Amino acid sequence: MSSAEHLIKQKFQQFYLERNRTLFSPPAASQREYGFLLFKGKFMVRHRTFKNPETLLTAIRDLSPAHVYFSTAYYQDPTASMDQKGWLGADLVFDIDADHLDTPCKIMHDNWKCKACSTVGKGSAPKTCPKCKNDRVEIETWLCDRCLQEAKEETIHLLEMIFSDLQMGDANLSVYFSGHRGYHVHLHSEDFRMLREEQRREIVDYLLGEQLDPSLQGMEDVPEGGVLILKGPQWGEPGWRGRMVRGIYEVLTKEGENLGLNQAQLKVINAWDKANFFTKPFWSSLKGINAGTWKNIVQRAVRETAAKIDSVVTSDVHRLIRLPGTLNGHTGLLGVNVPLERLDEFDPFIESIAFPEGQVKITVKDSPEFRIGSQNFGPFHDEKIELPTAAAMLLLCKHKAEPTS
Amino acid sequence: MLTRADLAKYPFVAEATDYVRELGFSIDEIATPEFSPVLDRAERRLEEALSKSQISVEVSNESAEILSFPVSNLILGLIGDERARRRFALAEAKRAYDLLRQESPEKLEHIATTTFGWRLERLDIRLGLRLYDFGLNLADFLRNSVHLREPRWNLPNRVLNHGLVYVTREETARLMEEEVRMRVLERSSKVPASVPQPLGSKVERARGLVIKWLGIPTQYELPKVPMPDAMPPCIRHLIDNLNEGKNVQHMGRFALAAFLLNIGAGDEEIVKMFKPATDFSERMTRYQVEHIGGKRGGRTKYTCPMCTTLKTHGVCFKPDKICDTIRNPLSYYKRKSRILSGKGPSREFS
Ligand code: SF4
Ligand SMILES: [Zn+2]
Ligand SMILES: [Zn+2]
Repeated sequence: MSSAEHLIKQKFQQFYLERNRTLFSPPAASQREYGFLLFKGKFMVRHRTFKNPETLLTAIRDLSPAHVYFSTAYYQDPTASMDQKGWLGADLVFDIDADHLDTPCKIMHDNWKCKACSTVGKGSAPKTCPKCKNDRVEIETWLCDRCLQEAKEETIHLLEMIFSDLQMGDANLSVYFSGHRGYHVHLHSEDFRMLREEQRREIVDYLLGEQLDPSLQGMEDVPEGGVLILKGPQWGEPGWRGRMVRGIYEVLTKEGENLGLNQAQLKVINAWDKANFFTKPFWSSLKGINAGTWKNIVQRAVRETAAKIDSVVTSDVHRLIRLPGTLNGHTGLLGVNVPLERLDEFDPFIESIAFPEGQVKITVKDSPEFRIGSQNFGPFHDEKIELPTAAAMLLLCKHKAEPTS
Repeated sequence: MLTRADLAKYPFVAEATDYVRELGFSIDEIATPEFSPVLDRAERRLEEALSKSQISVEVSNESAEILSFPVSNLILGLIGDERARRRFALAEAKRAYDLLRQESPEKLEHIATTTFGWRLERLDIRLGLRLYDFGLNLADFLRNSVHLREPRWNLPNRVLNHGLVYVTREETARLMEEEVRMRVLERSSKVPASVPQPLGSKVERARGLVIKWLGIPTQYELPKVPMPDAMPPCIRHLIDNLNEGKNVQHMGRFALAAFLLNIGAGDEEIVKMFKPATDFSERMTRYQVEHIGGKRGGRTKYTCPMCTTLKTHGVCFKPDKICDTIRNPLSYYKRKSRILSGKGPSREFS
């Protein structure tokens, strides 16, 4: 373990040892599998189970792990090997992470490095190294206000989609900040619990609008008086029908010029009266747009209005996911429950601080500017400084600093 | 709600099971002359399914039509031939669909809710050119729709509103067909402890029919590979197709055989696996399998084709997220089996 890891582990242990520390307990807590990623050797301890939150807390106090996970699945025997566990269903979970969003600030604060040839670059990591085509590209991300704000807005958008399209009566829904770059939405629902992987994948595809065929969502050429007229769904219709219309409206009014529309068509678009779309479809008012352009417009519209979830997390029925109320070893911040009605005003840089007291001396290699609480820090470059513990922990966890000896 | 004529049309419904129970006939009575129409019809049900994948509707003798259904299932359970069970389930399901699609919404709703336990709501909503009769609970929809291949069954192409998937009457019948298929398959898998004496000769006759239409009855199973659950979607799909007696093109067979050989299945098992194919020729198959395995011809052991090749030949099927990370079905198998055995990459999470 490095000296930074020693210090982080020690701080984590102090945090967990606090006398009135309590842990979040998921529904059916004793049917879950728990896992801990240890600082030492990045070793994963898994297939564990705990009768109650107290025994779980005792284990966490002993191990002081970098990350604590629990399974979204329920098992007959959570301690057995994977194929012997006896799967009893799983919560439906969604993950929205800045990793999957296109924020303009990434180019400023994210870096990547090819493990094979050491090529480096800024911004989101490419799928394969542009130089040697290897796919072992390592990414070093940063968490910034902008990225987290967009992740939160995307989460709100996802929730709207869940409530209007997916939700059935009884589902009990919770939102958590991950303590790093995103939010998790957990649905504990009898209806969804037994869904298998391929069925969950359908839900993923739905939310992403993947392979959506507009002609199956009501967009069709219908013969009328000897010519083909484009008919489509209407603004207020349920599901993707209405969402597609709203997306198309956005795309056309925002960037009609870039889509190769002619003057006459743009004129029609500018004359549109949004209020009217509830009753009067706009399809037939747009004449002479060829099929290719329409396809392009619809694709854009779907992309704009889809929920940008991580598809792997939702379809995996054996997933281990961060336990709310525990520390995130990537940041030293807490994973926390965010009540729905507070999501809009939730500030992760205030409300997930785990170390509000004290100062720590560190030596920073390189760090962008960041905020903790109401204070801004950095940017830093090769300097020895003393920072409030939470800020120092963030830099230590992000491998941007070492403790000053 | 359902008449006896309905039970004859839909012998899988809960009421038909009750009807059979109330008659209280015991297995010994099956041998008596009054039951010979039932036994004959049970046998014909099987033969129709095996020979033309279709089962007729015989309304002239309602009680024989109702009673013969459980007897066919019983016989299939005793034969224990997976291929025959699948054929039969598919044929019974198609028969149900052809009848269901002509029914009133009330009757569809009744069968779907009481027998299948579906949560179904009457809608009567017109959107564009379609009239949606029902809203079906999302979970009930998905359980059946994932087996259907046309794009219209993919969830992004559906109207989904507050957990209800809008479905037309015809679509409801189609989803019910799928439900029937699964249930019949399940029913015929129950193996009775012993062969009831009076059925003995019928079972032997039926076994003969299976041989006649599907070839020598081998104990058909997935080849004994370490982890059948770790197979990629394309390979499972190929196996399903063979099971259902569908024709599989050359590239598909080649991929399947090469895949299985590479993960350690034996030649014999693979040859068996191709038996259900409609144009099965054992000698040809054996030759091909041994060729792929490197025992004949150039002695090169073939590896499984790459995903890109399989995609261009239409063999790739519903690739999943693991597929995004691999380039060959064999790597899929490796990765998935590691995950399943819990040795996989730690599922850590940011
Ligand atoms: S991507 Fe490859 S492994 Fe996956 S289904 Fe397609 S062909 Fe099979
Ligand atoms: Zn490289
Ligand atoms: Zn950012």
